[in-house]
Amino acid sequence: MKQYKKWLRLGILLCLVGILVCAVSYWQQQKSSKRWELVYIPKTVDGTNDFWTSLISGTRMAAKEYNAEIEVIAPDREQDVERQNEILRQAIEDKPDAILISPSSFTASDELLRQAKDKGIPLTFIDSYTSEDIQDLTVATDNLEVGKKLGEFAREMLDEDSQVAIVEHVKGVSTAIEREEGFREGLGDLEKNIVEVVYCNSSYEKSYELTMDLLEKYPNLKMIAGLNEYSSVGAARAVKAAGAKDRVKIVGVDSSQEAVQLMEQGVFRGLVVQKAFKMGYVGVRDTIRMLNGEKVVDNVDSGSQLVTPENMYNSEIEKLLFPFNTVKQSTDTEEERQ
Amino acid sequence: MKDTKLKSGILGYFKSIQSAIFLAVSVLVLSAVVIVTAVSLRYTRNSISENSEVYTQTIIRQMNQNIDSYINYMENIASVVSDSDDVQKFLFADYGQEDNRKRLLEQFNTILNGRDDIKNLGILCVENGSGKTDTKDAARDINQDSEPEVRALINYGFQKVNPDLNIADLEWYRDAVEGTSNSVLTSSHVQHVVSGERPWVITLSRGIRNNTGSGVREGVFFIDLNYSAISELCDQNTIGEKGYVFILDQNGNIVYHPQQQQLYNELQTENIDLVMNADSDTVVTGGDNGKLYAISRSEKTGWTVVGCMNTQELFNGSTQAQSIYMITAVVLVIIALLLSSFIARNITLPIQRLGASMAKVQEGDFSEVDVEVSSKNEIGSLTRSFNVMTHRIQDLMDQNVHEQEQKRKSELKALQSQINPHFLYNTLDSIIWMAEGKKNEEVVLMTASLARLLRQSISNEDEVVPIYQEVEYARSYLTIQKMRYKDKLEFQIDVEPSIKHIMIIKLVLQPIIENAIYHGLKYKESKGLLILRGYEEGRNVVLQIIDNGVGMDEETVEHIFQRHKVNYHSNGVGVYNVQKRLQLYYGSDYGIAYSSEKGKGTTVTITIPKEQEGYDHETV
Repeated sequence: MKQYKKWLRLGILLCLVGILVCAVSYWQQQKSSKRWELVYIPKTVDGTNDFWTSLISGTRMAAKEYNAEIEVIAPDREQDVERQNEILRQAIEDKPDAILISPSSFTASDELLRQAKDKGIPLTFIDSYTSEDIQDLTVATDNLEVGKKLGEFAREMLDEDSQVAIVEHVKGVSTAIEREEGFREGLGDLEKNIVEVVYCNSSYEKSYELTMDLLEKYPNLKMIAGLNEYSSVGAARAVKAAGAKDRVKIVGVDSSQEAVQLMEQGVFRGLVVQKAFKMGYVGVRDTIRMLNGEKVVDNVDSGSQLVTPENMYNSEIEKLLFPFNTVKQSTDTEEERQ
Repeated sequence: MKDTKLKSGILGYFKSIQSAIFLAVSVLVLSAVVIVTAVSLRYTRNSISENSEVYTQTIIRQMNQNIDSYINYMENIASVVSDSDDVQKFLFADYGQEDNRKRLLEQFNTILNGRDDIKNLGILCVENGSGKTDTKDAARDINQDSEPEVRALINYGFQKVNPDLNIADLEWYRDAVEGTSNSVLTSSHVQHVVSGERPWVITLSRGIRNNTGSGVREGVFFIDLNYSAISELCDQNTIGEKGYVFILDQNGNIVYHPQQQQLYNELQTENIDLVMNADSDTVVTGGDNGKLYAISRSEKTGWTVVGCMNTQELFNGSTQAQSIYMITAVVLVIIALLLSSFIARNITLPIQRLGASMAKVQEGDFSEVDVEVSSKNEIGSLTRSFNVMTHRIQDLMDQNVHEQEQKRKSELKALQSQINPHFLYNTLDSIIWMAEGKKNEEVVLMTASLARLLRQSISNEDEVVPIYQEVEYARSYLTIQKMRYKDKLEFQIDVEPSIKHIMIIKLVLQPIIENAIYHGLKYKESKGLLILRGYEEGRNVVLQIIDNGVGMDEETVEHIFQRHKVNYHSNGVGVYNVQKRLQLYYGSDYGIAYSSEKGKGTTVTITIPKEQEGYDHETV
């Protein structure tokens, strides 16, 4: 009698343990597939800027692929630090699972970011960073490397005494500082030929005007380097308009349809292109991985590539220069055109 | 009782049949469930993976056909357009451009209308100057404000050719003009040719011969296909949740991939070499994230349509089925355990009740042996038989007890025989002599004693009497004997008053005294003395008859209780009878003990219990 009761208990106990194990594993499976809510605050959502468009599409793609919710909010203009901080403040109040941000200012957002940190919201920096080492993850192009590639390429086209001018986007931003530093390094001994550095505040028009001024001021100017899309395209437009494309060589950072066109026309001699899509994608992917408790590299270099008129039609470069439009997007443009 | 061997094999090892049955049923059901589950799991796994492989293959082949027919359709459009007179005239003639242009645009319009899978279509011709008279003029007619070298008509007519491009160097253009076949399919690339746009497309181009002039291909008709139609074709059949379909061209470049952008940005990899070098229709990669590639190559396009499935997911369906099997199995096992315990209890409960009852019977308790019987099976009939048996045993035992009682009573009766007639005759003779001798007093005494003796012996029907009665009886007897033997016998009676009312079976003392007189004192030369003592000793009462007669040797003492040694000359109520009666009545712990020494005398000790409540006092 006792023996048999023992068996019965043991059997039923085993069954219950089995069911429990199944339930726990199912529960954990459910748990790991939690839908994270993310907020990404780029510097701008300017639809004409291929860099940001591509980066944002990367973030969205990764969010979709990793089953996360992502909200992208940003100022209309890139240097609008106040507006960006406002958005950041709102985002902190909403308390998402993580905030991804491309800080427009090197210092102005520090306090808000500390608040976010205090509230326990993980932070990911994409493209740029701030003076404080407050973030959990950074995914950015190695801008020193970008500048260096550009400088080394520029150096081959310059003589001992060729004058060089630099058009930068925003003074004091990490990307601008590092690119300039890298560019100077790449130029090597020709660094002394840099005659002036101007700031266009990430505006095509401002860059255009500044370049026109530079062309006037330095009639012997041999090269202008633009350090982001706004500054380089603005400069190229000015040089093209002035009919000086053979005399003044333009190199720049970041590409757009217009930049590619300008390169085809022989205005741009070289562009260092960031891997914007990859940057956005990796930023979101690694943030989600971090939230899931996986091990991630906390500082990722998304890479860059020098594009010249010679290699611009290479398949590998094309993949980088021209964002692969998803089906939906391409049909949209079709309709718009019609 | 015969010892029947009840070794029933394995079942004998268990302490209870219940656990044996329980275990047997459990093991049977458990193994049945496990085997059935294992077989079905295995079968499911195999058949599901086989099915999904075949299914995927079929889907991929179907997709390839669909893509072929899609491309075929596009080729038809291309051939219809490029073979038309309008195209010939538009591209190669020097007159009537406007009319041709209008008709071509109408044609383009018809083609484009309602189709969103065509990104661009158009005709163009790079003029190298030879055979053309006035390039500038022609160019002006074609495009109001364009480069002089290219005659082109794209889409609805208002889009321009990218002026900064060397069109003749473009792969799709070059291949269409210089290649061997009419139509050329170029896999995914960026289309630079339309000014202001750089979309990723798949281009179908077809060379156009200058039929009026050189007869060689000088112009090209092209259709840029965006991915909407192809992705629709590839995504129309889902192959699993994580499965997808992608297309490679003959060089292993990607034509279409659902994650093309990720692949282009090096965020994804696809094992293209493996697919391109595969000999069979399916290839499986190993590892944790193993993939199954189902491959179908198209003769027509040269493309390879590849269906990719996560092998893990391939088994997901079976995993689901498996978990259902497992849950069912677990539930079945639980039910089986409960059921087997129920069955085991049902079978063994009557057995246990029977067993408990048997144990009582074994202890001799027949008070509540009747086992309730509700079932009609073997155990039911067993129980019924047991009940009948116990009843029979009980009857027999009752009968036995009754018979024993009767037997004992009759035996006792037989043993308590009357006074020896010789003693009576001798006593009466003595009375006569004494009367003749005018010894009145003696006559009175002896007659009184005899009367008492007779009264007690005859009239008293009780089996037991108080000790004082028995002592009085002995006194009467001794008085008579003393008078008969004159100087030869003297007696003393010394009985504690406290035992006087304790009961004793009657006619115990007299036969022993008689024995003592006839075998001890009678042969003594001098005067003999007989002492009757009675006292308490612990929980017993002891009566002693002590004489100083001739005594007995040890051998005689040893054989004193043997029947054949009974002296038939005595009153027939020998020591043996007394001993037997005492032990019949009081048990073997009690009775008579002799101690004797030759020439010195004999002591007879009678021991009976003081407390006699438990004994049967019923009268004989």
